[in-house]
Amino acid sequence: MPYVLNSEKEIGQMLKDIGVSSVEELYSHLPQAVRLTSSLDVGLGLSEMEVRDALGGLAAKNKTISEFNSFLGAGCYDHYVPAALPFILSLGQFLTAYTPYQAECSQGILQAIYEYQSYMCLLTGMDVSNASLLDGASSLAEAVLMSLRITNRKKILVSEALHPEYRETLNTYLSGFNASGSSSAGFSIYEIAAKDGKIDPETVGYSVDNNTACCVFQNPNFFGLIEDVQNISKAAHAKGALSIMSANPIALALLKEPAKLGVDIACGDGQPLGAGSNLGGSSFGFLAVKKEYMRQLPGRIVGKTLDKDGKDAYCLTMQTREQHIRRQKATSNICSNQSLNAIGSAIYLSLVGREGLRDAARFSFCNTKYLYNRMAEIRGVRIPFASTFFNEFLWETDNAKDVLSKLRNKGIIAGFYLGDKFPQYKNGILSCCTEKKTKQQIDDLVNTLAEVLHG
Amino acid sequence: MGETIFDKNTNLSEVNFIAKPKVPLEDFPVELSRSQLPLPSLGELDVIRHYSNLAKDNLSVDTNFYPLGSCTMKYNPKLNEAVACLDGFCDIHPYQDQDLIQGSLELMYNLQNLLCQITGMEHFTLQPSSGAHGELAGMLMIRKYHDIAGNQKEEVIVPDSAHGTNPATVSMCGYKTIVVESGSDGLIDIEKLRLAVNEKTAAIMLTNPNTLGLFEEDILEIAQIIHDKDGFLYYDGANFNALLGIVKPSLMGFDVIHLNLHKTFSTPHGCGGPGAGVVGVGKRLADFLPSPIVSKRENYYLNYQIKHSIGRLRTFYGSFSVLVRAYAYILRLGRDGLLNVSHNAIINANYIKEKLKNYYNLPFPKRCMHEVVFSCSKQKEKGALALDIAKRLMDYGIHPPTMYFPLIVAEALMVEATETESKYTLDNFIDAMIAIDKEISLDLQILKNAPNNTCTKRVDEVRAARFPDLRWQESGD
Repeated sequence: MPYVLNSEKEIGQMLKDIGVSSVEELYSHLPQAVRLTSSLDVGLGLSEMEVRDALGGLAAKNKTISEFNSFLGAGCYDHYVPAALPFILSLGQFLTAYTPYQAECSQGILQAIYEYQSYMCLLTGMDVSNASLLDGASSLAEAVLMSLRITNRKKILVSEALHPEYRETLNTYLSGFNASGSSSAGFSIYEIAAKDGKIDPETVGYSVDNNTACCVFQNPNFFGLIEDVQNISKAAHAKGALSIMSANPIALALLKEPAKLGVDIACGDGQPLGAGSNLGGSSFGFLAVKKEYMRQLPGRIVGKTLDKDGKDAYCLTMQTREQHIRRQKATSNICSNQSLNAIGSAIYLSLVGREGLRDAARFSFCNTKYLYNRMAEIRGVRIPFASTFFNEFLWETDNAKDVLSKLRNKGIIAGFYLGDKFPQYKNGILSCCTEKKTKQQIDDLVNTLAEVLHG
Repeated sequence: MGETIFDKNTNLSEVNFIAKPKVPLEDFPVELSRSQLPLPSLGELDVIRHYSNLAKDNLSVDTNFYPLGSCTMKYNPKLNEAVACLDGFCDIHPYQDQDLIQGSLELMYNLQNLLCQITGMEHFTLQPSSGAHGELAGMLMIRKYHDIAGNQKEEVIVPDSAHGTNPATVSMCGYKTIVVESGSDGLIDIEKLRLAVNEKTAAIMLTNPNTLGLFEEDILEIAQIIHDKDGFLYYDGANFNALLGIVKPSLMGFDVIHLNLHKTFSTPHGCGGPGAGVVGVGKRLADFLPSPIVSKRENYYLNYQIKHSIGRLRTFYGSFSVLVRAYAYILRLGRDGLLNVSHNAIINANYIKEKLKNYYNLPFPKRCMHEVVFSCSKQKEKGALALDIAKRLMDYGIHPPTMYFPLIVAEALMVEATETESKYTLDNFIDAMIAIDKEISLDLQILKNAPNNTCTKRVDEVRAARFPDLRWQESGD
């Protein structure tokens, strides 16, 4: 039998030592009524060769993004992954260890996570980062829950230009508190409209009041645009609300640090930092805050300390926030996070280094700008927003869905169709370029689009 | 510990991973730009050595026995890694048209069905990305069901032996946790349960086998008590490894369950994730599942048409790369292989129990399932804490068991060997535990100083909490 090491002989010896004659005797106390009466219908088991064939067959039924000229982004970005990264991540001592509860035999993991936290602080300008959360959407939800605890207020302002799946996740996380009959009911979400594709700090100013816990927005926002972070944060702070920003970590290589612009909690999805696409799973969520809020952070945190010989050492710390200690009063129920992917992002950042990260960000921007400029020349293409974007932008054309499908027939996935999530942009397409796009591929989209529109 | 990656910065600027594009190069608008990006830059070999050396300082399943109770640290087959890395699975964007990702959707659909078959549940969602995430999904479904039905529910029953995630999840659903004490046999005390359950009871959260490794034999009576008050049974499947092919949660009366694919289904723990906490439901909660799930007409498709769906718990469709690994594992083992997993998990746990029961106190001596919990109370009388014994095990090259949990056992050591360990490895562990017990009388100090052979001596956790140093800073900052 695969993966079980004991032979019949050894099993027989063990049963004898236990004092039973069969393994069934070991669970004979289980009530008959809960026992299976027939075997599981899950196949008879396969050789390793057959499993590879079966899985290879399924993989072959997919068409990969590399088989197309793809401009998909919208929360999952096709950045270059250095060749060394998967080799380091597949080291058994990282891959097959668990949460480093036992510090002395987990120093390497703990240091790697401490370095990850440091990287997130350097990118966001924040003082403290946790050891990761599940993904960008759930970290945003946890950030909002944090702000509710910190301010003890009940109103949440959310930008319309937040990733719609983040918004849906936030709704789900709040639904438990908001259900009818709940003793802690009464949290309410107000949407800040994104006129011209961005939220207006003045609108935040009108909407925020003494019961507002936070203003939540994404930057670069879902339409790719750069928000006026400083004035949004200022407007939130004017009434004592927190400023929560979800960021693309690669964009942070170029953008001013959120903490310097008044953001109190920075969060986001770490997928761009070397995680690959993987049908959108799995990446990790990051969450970094100013020092005064660190006791309200959910999730694991690694700290540096000393061992009994006075040498530097690392361990999990501030655990009294967590579920295994505080139980129903914990800051969150989170236990397992996405450590390996978080460590993966630190390895990515270490490999590409300062210049490499800046290149990935800047070349993504340059490619996108080039696409934007060329698209603007095509008759029948409308670009509704003129302000600065990072690596994606919104454009419109009549019968967008039809155009997308014609382009696909020519091997191009031109972008993410917006109409299903944003009815006001029923002809809207969000197109993204990372540093991996070549000029030729961009020209190919532009030329083919012109052809599709004008024959 | 060695220097951090930041201390090793050599300011190497020509790493050259990213090709310069042929489009016109422009600078990002200066008024939006940061003034500096204070990240280190070093050569590839330096980075490889840094992380290879960090890896060296950890115990892991690949290198050492790792009997961390309730975590099911079984072998993670390399086959799973190989298939999860296929381009046809990795190089896929979540927003590609669904006709382009039929292979991935078919895999998810098949996995949903296999998990239904294994557990007896009617439907599965693969979206939750950890056990606690699954708990949140399951309990929010229960919450929404009661709210729509107009049931005035306020409380959730949680045994005192439960994982900490259970009460924490209850709070995130706006309910109040009611703790029920275990009886002297380590099982739920039915009479105390009866007293705790009333019209306000929304659900009970239960793991079976419980965290003592014991099977709750009165499970059907428990189910009756909860169902009679229109409450739900939530199954925390963290401890499912001993039940494959033997017991189905549906037969025990559970309405909603989560399974940790990174435990029972062999996907690697990765220093604490990514895992997956997939959730199965019976008929009553089917309309409440998170969306989307994968369904099939002529083709496989992402089904968002779930009548009372609680909504999303994250972006996209779950930890897909984890799902691939679990699917490969189930295919590989099949019917007899899965049963064999549970058989050997049970044998290994009971073998350790038998061999150590004369040395370490067994507070609940019943037959155990996937794990066994000892109390170091006898050793404590001689001055050695469970903590000291755990630390000393590292000197024997063994990752310590879970300690001080469950909370109802004083000086607890919770040992879960899993089925993938050999008699030889178990005997080594047993010998080490017996040797450590002897050391207490001979030289207590060797335990108090432990670990002695690790790169780092005992770590001052109190200092870490009192003077938080949570990130690297340039000296002088």
